Amino acid sequence: MISFLKSSRKILGMNARNLQFIRPNNLRRARRLADDKLFSKRVLKKAELPVPNVIAKIKSFEELENFDWGALPDSWVLKPNRGFGGEGILVVYGKKKPARDASRLGRDAGGSLPDTWIKADSSLVTIEDIKTHVQNILDGSFSLAGVPDIAFFEERLKLLKLFKPYSFKGVPDIRIIVYNKVPVMAMLRLPTRESDGKANLQQGAIGVGIDLATGVTTTAVQGKNKVIEYLPGTRLLLSGIRIPYWKDILTLAVRAQEISKLGFLGADVAIDRDRGPVFLELNARPGLSIQLANLDGLLGRLRRVEDLKIKTIEKGVAVGMNLFGGEIEEEIEDISGKKLIGTIEKVKITGKDEKEIEAEARIDTGAGISSIDKELAKKLGFEEAVKYWEDFHLDRTLSNEEIKTLSANETWKRLEQHSDIIGVAKTYSSHGATYRIEIKLNLALSDIPIVSKIAIANRTGLKYPLLIGRRDLKNFLINPAQEK
Amino acid sequence: MNQFITLALANGIPLDTLVLVLILPIIVTVIAFFRQVIGIKAFGIYTPAIITFALLATNQIKYGITIFVTVIVVGTLTRFILKRARLLYLPRVAIMITIVGFSILLLLFVGGTFNRTGLASVSIFPILIMITLVEKFVAVQIEKGGRAAVILAFETLLISIIGYYIASWHFLISAILQYPWISLLTIPINIFLGKWTGLRISEYFRFRQILKPR
Repeated sequence: MISFLKSSRKILGMNARNLQFIRPNNLRRARRLADDKLFSKRVLKKAELPVPNVIAKIKSFEELENFDWGALPDSWVLKPNRGFGGEGILVVYGKKKPARDASRLGRDAGGSLPDTWIKADSSLVTIEDIKTHVQNILDGSFSLAGVPDIAFFEERLKLLKLFKPYSFKGVPDIRIIVYNKVPVMAMLRLPTRESDGKANLQQGAIGVGIDLATGVTTTAVQGKNKVIEYLPGTRLLLSGIRIPYWKDILTLAVRAQEISKLGFLGADVAIDRDRGPVFLELNARPGLSIQLANLDGLLGRLRRVEDLKIKTIEKGVAVGMNLFGGEIEEEIEDISGKKLIGTIEKVKITGKDEKEIEAEARIDTGAGISSIDKELAKKLGFEEAVKYWEDFHLDRTLSNEEIKTLSANETWKRLEQHSDIIGVAKTYSSHGATYRIEIKLNLALSDIPIVSKIAIANRTGLKYPLLIGRRDLKNFLINPAQEK
Repeated sequence: MNQFITLALANGIPLDTLVLVLILPIIVTVIAFFRQVIGIKAFGIYTPAIITFALLATNQIKYGITIFVTVIVVGTLTRFILKRARLLYLPRVAIMITIVGFSILLLLFVGGTFNRTGLASVSIFPILIMITLVEKFVAVQIEKGGRAAVILAFETLLISIIGYYIASWHFLISAILQYPWISLLTIPINIFLGKWTGLRISEYFRFRQILKPR
């Protein structure tokens, strides 16, 4: 109960956000700048911040009628100037080439047909569709107070290779809350099928919390409040993604605060494959879901930086990284690029038919290859292979002579005839030798996936059914003092 | 009875009007409380307040609720039909109001054939208010999506029903006629609500994952 009250005091609610942070820190002039995308783009560009380029603007119905549709490139984003919450944005990914009609000549053979573009869900968008959409924008259907608005076409950013597996169609962006020149919290927003390729949590996108010191992702939430670990429908972990240009991104966010004079700023930054970090949008009323993505309260963090006197942007970035960054352990992992583990670790094993079993394993740098108990292997769906091996009466300790005869008889050739057996391993130790079969097995140790060529052994009587040897420990550092 | 009330009545102000005007501050304060402390949003403050009075003006609350639900259901259905037509905002709302109006007429008619005469005798004022509710509904649909609009509509209904029971509470009405100034007590209450920065009850639920001890 006490811990509940304690953590509830750290959370920023709607009332406190409006009254204590937006009202006093985001004055009307600054809010107006943030709510006018074209204006803020101009101001930020003038201050030499990288922003997506504007392709064209449509300010009135007259301009819409006279618009040169042929001038639009293959891919673009159509936005309402005063839109909010990601509403009213239309993204196209390519132009559909009209089929060439062989019976005609010259321009009539194709190309003179009306232009059509392709959306995220591969549905088609005609000029008529775009016109209606622009009309709705001009009418103010998507603007904050329903006032008449301007529509503009913007270049579509190119997706970074790193984000490709995580992102459905759209480009992920990074939301950073900046207060008093200090970046206090950040999340990576991944567009999903539900969100129609848009990076907006309210529409079903995924928010992934980010460790401010390292730029490595931590916990994740989908939509309003569903905490998730993996990317839905896949085995991709959402934690541990290292965001490139991290310090540059934080610097960009703090600079944007300085320029816009929004004391409580939600800065949206994206990474373009060619241009690097690009500043997307200023937000004067940042949402509160970022707290769920990070599983941490914002109010606690804001309170820690509110009285600081921050003179320079560099200082602000450094303070944010230091205050809201990872712990020592993660730093070691950072420097070495390796994960720190203890001598006994829980391992997730995926057997045949995607069956998952969790088991404790001894981490043993004295062994070369990993091994698994035959009973556990049976449970994982390798019953046949184990039986096949048992029929050779090899699931026991052998003498060196026996091993020699086995090798001479080329027994391994016969063992390897079974489709699950990918190899045979001989081991020698002080209490005898063994002749083991090897199978391919997917393990996850401390959330890092390993494809192991693992030996099946008779480990009855041993405490742990699993032993992880040197061959599978290349990406780890072992700390014997670490508790599991 | 209070002197002020007696004087007002003597000057020809109807009693109903007096009661409604004096009770209005209490209703809107309750709505503000629901938003700031509990976290039930509804369609702003005007819509739930006016729906409350519409409910008061129908003979029985069940008829008011029936009409409200009909408006929302028909409004949602028409949205799907009109979505494809791709119309501009005002003409679209005009069509929706027309369709909703006719549906209400049909409802009254059906009510009549089942001898629910109470439904047909509902006065035109609350019916019109409910029909125009559809504009607010469409606006929210565009802004926040269909699901959010339906949720907000039912939050509005909930608050309006609570408002209805407060406004038809005899003890409160006689108290307010005794001491009309208690209506002004809502001002300090609202100042308090306006300065309230604590978490809303709904936010304890929203952020439960963070609050969970780990």
